[in-house]
Amino acid sequence: MIDLLTTKYNYIAAILLMAGGLYMVIGDRNLVKKVIGMNLFQTGIFLFFITTAFVEGGEPPVIQEGVETYVSPLPHVLILTAIVVGVSLTAVALTLIIRIYSEYGTLREDVITEMETDD
Amino acid sequence: MTDAIVLAVVVPIFGAMLSMIAGLRFDRSGWTVAALTCLAQLGTALAILYTVVQDGTQRYELAGFTPPEGIELVADGLSAPVIVLVATVSLAVVVYARQAGPRGNAFYTLYLLLVGGLAGVTLTGDIFNMYVFLEITGLAAYALVASGDSTESAVAGLKYLILGTIGASLFLLGAGYAYIATGTLNMVDLSEQLAAAGYGSRLVLGAFGLLVTGLLVKVALFPVHTWQPGAYSNAPDSVSVYISALVSTVAAYAVARVLYTVFTPEFFTANPIAQTALVYAAAVSIIAGSVLAVLQRDLKRMLAYSSVSQFGMVVAGFALLSQSAAVGGVIHLIGHAVLKGGLFAAVGVVAAQTGARSIDEYAGLASRAPLSAGLVAVLGLSLVGVPPSVGFVGKFYIAVGAVETGTWPIAAVIFASTVLTLAYFARIIERMYFAQPAVEPSSDGAVAVDVGDGVSADGGEEIHSSAGASPEMVAVVVVAAVAAVTLGFAGSAIESFLEPTLVEVFG
Amino acid sequence: MSDVASLRPLAAVLVSAVAIPLIVGSYRRQNLREFWTILVALAKVAIVGSMVPGVLDGTVYVTDIGAYVADISFVLRVDPLGLLFGLLASALWVITSFYSIGYMRGLSEDSQTRYFASFAASVSTAIGVAFAGNLITLFIFYELLTVATYPLVAHDETAEARAAGRKYLTYTFIGGVAVLAGTVLVFSMAGTTSFTPGGIGELADADPALARLAFALLAGGFGVKAALMPMHSWLPDAMVAPTPVSGLLHAVAVVKSGVFGIARVTLDVFGPGTMQDLGVGLPLAAIAAFTLLTASIIALRKDNLKRRLAYSTISQLSYIVLGLGILSGEAVVGALLHIPAHAFMKLTLFFCAGAIHVETHTDDISDMAGIGKRMPLTMVAFAVAAAGMAGIPLVAGFVSKWYLLIGSVSAGQEIFAVVLLISGMLNIAYFWPIVYQAFFESPDAHDEKPLIESPFGGLFGSESGESTPVDGTTVKADGGDTVNDDDHDEHDDADHETDTDVDHDDHYHHGGPPAGGWDERNWHGSESTWFMLGPILAAATGALALGIVPATALFLEIVQEVAINVGVMP
Repeated sequence: MIDLLTTKYNYIAAILLMAGGLYMVIGDRNLVKKVIGMNLFQTGIFLFFITTAFVEGGEPPVIQEGVETYVSPLPHVLILTAIVVGVSLTAVALTLIIRIYSEYGTLREDVITEMETDD
Repeated sequence: MTDAIVLAVVVPIFGAMLSMIAGLRFDRSGWTVAALTCLAQLGTALAILYTVVQDGTQRYELAGFTPPEGIELVADGLSAPVIVLVATVSLAVVVYARQAGPRGNAFYTLYLLLVGGLAGVTLTGDIFNMYVFLEITGLAAYALVASGDSTESAVAGLKYLILGTIGASLFLLGAGYAYIATGTLNMVDLSEQLAAAGYGSRLVLGAFGLLVTGLLVKVALFPVHTWQPGAYSNAPDSVSVYISALVSTVAAYAVARVLYTVFTPEFFTANPIAQTALVYAAAVSIIAGSVLAVLQRDLKRMLAYSSVSQFGMVVAGFALLSQSAAVGGVIHLIGHAVLKGGLFAAVGVVAAQTGARSIDEYAGLASRAPLSAGLVAVLGLSLVGVPPSVGFVGKFYIAVGAVETGTWPIAAVIFASTVLTLAYFARIIERMYFAQPAVEPSSDGAVAVDVGDGVSADGGEEIHSSAGASPEMVAVVVVAAVAAVTLGFAGSAIESFLEPTLVEVFG
Repeated sequence: MSDVASLRPLAAVLVSAVAIPLIVGSYRRQNLREFWTILVALAKVAIVGSMVPGVLDGTVYVTDIGAYVADISFVLRVDPLGLLFGLLASALWVITSFYSIGYMRGLSEDSQTRYFASFAASVSTAIGVAFAGNLITLFIFYELLTVATYPLVAHDETAEARAAGRKYLTYTFIGGVAVLAGTVLVFSMAGTTSFTPGGIGELADADPALARLAFALLAGGFGVKAALMPMHSWLPDAMVAPTPVSGLLHAVAVVKSGVFGIARVTLDVFGPGTMQDLGVGLPLAAIAAFTLLTASIIALRKDNLKRRLAYSTISQLSYIVLGLGILSGEAVVGALLHIPAHAFMKLTLFFCAGAIHVETHTDDISDMAGIGKRMPLTMVAFAVAAAGMAGIPLVAGFVSKWYLLIGSVSAGQEIFAVVLLISGMLNIAYFWPIVYQAFFESPDAHDEKPLIESPFGGLFGSESGESTPVDGTTVKADGGDTVNDDDHDEHDDADHETDTDVDHDDHYHHGGPPAGGWDERNWHGSESTWFMLGPILAAATGALALGIVPATALFLEIVQEVAINVGVMP
């Protein structure tokens, strides 16, 4: 157990982030917090990916003089793309939340559901 | 001719940008740009189909990087029919949306982005690239759903966004697992490397579970379907038509890709539990979707739940891992897209003609709108699986597959699905033809249909669609109904077209 | 047998499908619309008839449209068995078309265009069922037949009609599911679904458990439309439909397609040999025997004429299934011959019931005492057909039952012969009172009918409550209803081709004789219009022809050809 904590702490952190994020998405009724949870979940995945790229004793994948081992560059490239996607998603989500707020005057999901069923 | 493959993806994305740029100068350029783009894309899709028929599988290396490091686009027996479907439906919906709305350049920009995303998912041969296209598809779809002007549409869009993102993130995580296990992201390469890594490996199993679960969220299988009814029913009519016909369809296609190309049937031979789980999940979805559909009062919601059930059928077809069932899965995938798109389009036409939207309001529709009622009946019966329509053909192949593999419970569910589908369609047909309208719909003819002014985001242009359905809208539904019947006779043709690809998969 | 490629089978199917747009297109002009119906009916019978000599000489006409699913062709084949049903359906369609015109106009029904269009579609698909060359093609037309007949069942647009339509769809689609499941099983075991006289060879070597399952699914699925108990209850409910539809359902298309499907399964899919090996013939015969006895007993207690006829149909259909289950040569001949025999007789009976309804709005048997005076020709035809149902010689029913009796005895299954005889007596018990009271009694002086009216289980009250008349009247079985005289004066004028006085309100009219008893009509057709009398007499003549000169009335010859091909007759 201790061994796991000391050698794989990066993975554990990533998984904690994912679990926390997922819990926020499901458990929280505030729409903004849901989006934050979603971001946390994604960030956990990003960290997980980056961690997999690590090579013992490797340097960042930018070519330098005198460096033999680099960490794997591919996950970095991929996650760069994924971060861009994540940012756009957050932007769209926040736009929608602004619209919802202006129409319902609340950000609480349960209140909105109540208002919808009243219609 | 391999250029056609990349063009099919690039043309719509380019069109989206063009639509946005042209929109800075012209108010009404969106439709023209979209129509021309979709026409061009249809051309490339047909070229792809032709090439695949002539010369078999085609591959295109993006930017000259050779796979497995570089990303490749692949057109084979599986992706060629789907890309033709995507292009055809895209063009049809552009025609439909001209009158049905939403209007404005922003709508068409998003629309073309969605088309490009779907084409990308269909053609890509790289699992990470698939994630990116899935997210492009998702982004555009969330925004389009929210572009409806009912207050619920924004909520439905956000719900869709959150669940869709979770699904896509799971897919990404699965891709990560696969990458750790193999060091590659190219699908063909993955299939070899996964086998080398050992199908029993926990990483490989994890990758399978995450990839498939992520996709199933996008397919909207029960119980991860919760985003779907709201999204379908609160979106503007044109958007409902499009996403019901294609978004889940392409995700289900991606499931087939992952099952057949990445993991291959050998994976399931090693892990029969994976197949069993998938097949039973699909069967549960068939039943649950139908039951939920019976409970609905709003027609669009009912059709949405019906999709939950029908996609259960498609996924079952793919997951049975028999050649017949796979053929059935593809036929039902295409058939369902045509039928469900046609039905949503018909619902839009009826709403524009009479204002009727709930099942009760459909009472006596046959006398008020005979053509629309007839079209709804034809499309509905086809979905029920009345031969010789395409709805029957897909079901038949899947059933043959289930019987051949001896999966009796699934065979029973598939046979019963006819009656389950009938349970929710018969009452519509009965109301349309054999009931008097209980309450007059709010207003006859001149109805301010809530499809017109969807995109007020781009400078507040408020165009109410004029009353009634245009001939183009009706024509789109007629084409769908005709296709529903004629595609039924294309079953054997599709089978022989798929055969080389499937033989490669199943040996 | 030699196969000849020909477009005639396809033409026979399509000719009435072509009529649908013509009928719908001319919805504003009734006469033109009916002209199409008649023209197409005649064209169809001509096309089917043109194939008769060839088929009797051993030719099989084939239209192969190409692979439909999984390399199974969409193929139409006119072999003797198909011709039997095809010829019957197309011939009776002509009669029913004329009758429909008289009936629908006589009642000024709504939605006549939809009615005639659906009618044409039904017959088109029924011919498709007849000529289908394999199980898949048969299934296609079988399902389409369900869809095409649904609007006819629900025609009245009342809550009751809708409920009947719903029940009809549910039952028949569940049956369809079973048929499809059986078809898929047969396909996966044998690799083919093509009909082969004497059975598909590969099925003999298949896993017996699966083969039995496939047989049960197919026979059960077709059994729904054949109204085998306990899957029969849609049929009496469907009597809410207009009478020509009942006639079509009973005699021409729907139930016969179910029976025909069973015939195909027993004779051309499994074949007598395989059925013997699997031991599935006896259970089928037992279910049929149970159905035919039970239905006859229930029929005794139905006061609504159409409902009594419905239960009679359920019982008679089981004669056919029984013969197919017994599987000896004579039994098969008797069973198949009973298809046309029952069709002609039952069509006559329904047409009579319809004519009584149109002319006098009487639906309940207890109101029909003395009606022979009012409708002499109709009731004579009714008597003839009823006699045939009971198996009295010189009418069609006798010949087929004779074969069935001989067949069951020669197969060593005498018990079924006893069942047949008992059922014949029950037939007399529920038909004779109708005929007797029509001619020999009057409304104010008629006796109790002990067997059918007084309680034999003490449950008469609930029984009569069950048989609520179809059109919503509240007439009690004792006929003690109130009758509006003015209404009747109108109806007595209803001799014209189109009667404008009668409209839908009459559905709430109480049937029964007018206050002064039935008035007397002559024997030259003044009782009704010739649009209705003609078909009644034609159908009755057909029933007599089959009974008096069976050897020259075509159908026996075709049936014997079938039996020889299948191998149950030398």
